[in-house]
Amino acid sequence: MKPALEFLIKDEKVYSGALSCRGCGWSLLVRHLASLLGEDTVYVAPASCFSIISGPFPLRELKANLVHTVFAAAPATATGVRAALDRQGKKDTTVVILAGDGGTFDIGLQALSGAAARNENLLYIVNNNGAYMNTGIQTSTATPYGAVTTTNPGSGFKRAWPKDLMGIVAAHNMPYAATASLAFLEDLRTKVERAKNTRGFRLLMIDGPCPPGHKADPAQSIQIGRLAVETRLFPLFEVERQHYTINYRPEKNIPVEECLKLQGRFKQLFKPENRYMIEEVQAHTDQYWVRLEAMEGL
Amino acid sequence: MKKENNHNGLMLEEPYPESPRYPRHVEVVMKGNYAAAEAARLCRVGFIPAYPITPQTTIVERLSELVAEGKLEATYINMDSEHSVFAAAMGAAIGGERVFTATAGQGLFYAHEVLQAISHFRLPMVMCNVGRPSIPWNIWSDQSDSLSQRDTGWIQFYGESSQEVLDTIIQAYVLTEKTRIPAMVVLDAFYQSHTSENVWLPDQNLVDRFLPPIQPGEMSIDLKKPKSFGGLLPPEHYNRMNYSFWETMNQVEALAEEIATDFGAHFGRPYSNVEAVNIGPKTRLVLVTISSITSTARGVIRDYPEVGLLKLRLFRPFPREAVQRALAPLSKDAVIAIVERNFLGDNEGAIMQEMKRALYGSNYKMYGFFAGVGGKDVPPVTIEKIIHRAFHRPEEVNWVDVG
Repeated sequence: MKPALEFLIKDEKVYSGALSCRGCGWSLLVRHLASLLGEDTVYVAPASCFSIISGPFPLRELKANLVHTVFAAAPATATGVRAALDRQGKKDTTVVILAGDGGTFDIGLQALSGAAARNENLLYIVNNNGAYMNTGIQTSTATPYGAVTTTNPGSGFKRAWPKDLMGIVAAHNMPYAATASLAFLEDLRTKVERAKNTRGFRLLMIDGPCPPGHKADPAQSIQIGRLAVETRLFPLFEVERQHYTINYRPEKNIPVEECLKLQGRFKQLFKPENRYMIEEVQAHTDQYWVRLEAMEGL
Repeated sequence: MKKENNHNGLMLEEPYPESPRYPRHVEVVMKGNYAAAEAARLCRVGFIPAYPITPQTTIVERLSELVAEGKLEATYINMDSEHSVFAAAMGAAIGGERVFTATAGQGLFYAHEVLQAISHFRLPMVMCNVGRPSIPWNIWSDQSDSLSQRDTGWIQFYGESSQEVLDTIIQAYVLTEKTRIPAMVVLDAFYQSHTSENVWLPDQNLVDRFLPPIQPGEMSIDLKKPKSFGGLLPPEHYNRMNYSFWETMNQVEALAEEIATDFGAHFGRPYSNVEAVNIGPKTRLVLVTISSITSTARGVIRDYPEVGLLKLRLFRPFPREAVQRALAPLSKDAVIAIVERNFLGDNEGAIMQEMKRALYGSNYKMYGFFAGVGGKDVPPVTIEKIIHRAFHRPEEVNWVDVG
């Protein structure tokens, strides 16, 4: 007998027809988020791909209020929205920031740090696809080592390591921060629930598939996301007041190149003269894992 | 009973007698910055995002004190920058709260992007700017900061005295909540911000009757009727949005005048968008001023019966009709001398540009005088120099007291 179909999303809180590219992470992410957060939510979005995906006037993707704001200050605008709702007794309404990595790691970092340090009762979602994709794939400080972007083109590919955003965020001693992947939906949904039910500043960093930016096959978005976790390029963990918990321990030691080779942005690393850089990425990834485990033991 | 307050010498706990001059007011001695803070308290503002910057800092300090002491029921948040201050102000205004903040100089320049967003989102709020110019570091009185923001879509008032700052903030809330255009009330660094003057503080119920609680507007969050605020606006809609902004902006001059008159009926102190002193057919020269230089000029012209004064209180939108009306009695030989405590990188100062615009098509002889830029004092003798130079072969644009 066939088992009955069980969908994770039972109640859609987005309208159909999002304007994302094929294989984009934003739409899938927002569908899950919105279904868990419900309509008693106010979203705040700085400039990002999501500003467009959520619909130009008069369209609206989300079945909830959405406040668009300036690039550098989404957590500040959200602080104002939160304060207004609190003053009106709407303390249970969730205020959620939906930002990209540029709006988080770079131009929005100060406002993020301010809100985290004040422990504002906000949920910050960063869809980290590793570049300014909305403006056409420019390097951000989240762009991985070895990746090509339109501002690190060709042989000028990026040779600096991305910022450790989770480390920066954790240093604010906030109640809850976690990484999550669209390839691990149960884990992602659990974390969204936990974040929703925690008071104070919370941040979830999602590994964001971006086929045009990563030069990848849209059909492989989830597979690449899964490999990012399995190779430990994107470890799944939680930080509660600086206490680390690793949520998923890959059973096999799959080399990072298995994930990198599916993304055209890394193809120059596979030239013989650059192969040592793949080893550097491997070493960096291994070291990060060792550090995570050490942090978990503290 | 007497309770000392070391910060500002304001002793409201003392049973002050009602002012004989203005019923239901108490007369206190207070610095301009505290007058601004008291105005925010009297307006029952709900949200105050704050960031320190000289010479504004004592406004937000005083407000934090009022909130901490329970004298103002508001949410006060120390933000991480002026950019964040205005972004938070924007969020709370969309949330439907009455918002107040204050800044100065670099803070206002830093917030420029968000000023644009707030006005184009048509969010009501009032902010105080205590004018100072840009780096190289200078904290002294200069209006280059706010005048350079004249094109951000904010209403701008310039206050001559602490009393006027206080009264204008109250009027500005009525105006901003009617028009859904944000308003900036500007005072001078130190000459006003840190100088004690007599101020008549109105009773709370007097203010409450003039300024009703804020009402939600089209740009307010309603959890029952979700909306998207400020998303990508295609050209035809953007054009229409600005058309509607323009339509409302065109009504502001008349509305501000009406509110100022109404304020006079409620509080006993009537105001107008511009003030004409001694402007008539025999006037040979009119000084045009904003802010505290006006007071100096008032004193000087007592000795010059042939000199009049035009004070601009509303600057954005520029009160064109009021300026034209005020100058109408002048003879055709009369001279207009504009005092500019601002430098915006052009030949003329900001006020002269606006005056020329307002008087386009008429043949007034108009001369600009840069004076007091970067906080340089403008004592009566400088005003006299301007008067003399204006009478005796001035250049079109002049600098006074340079060197």
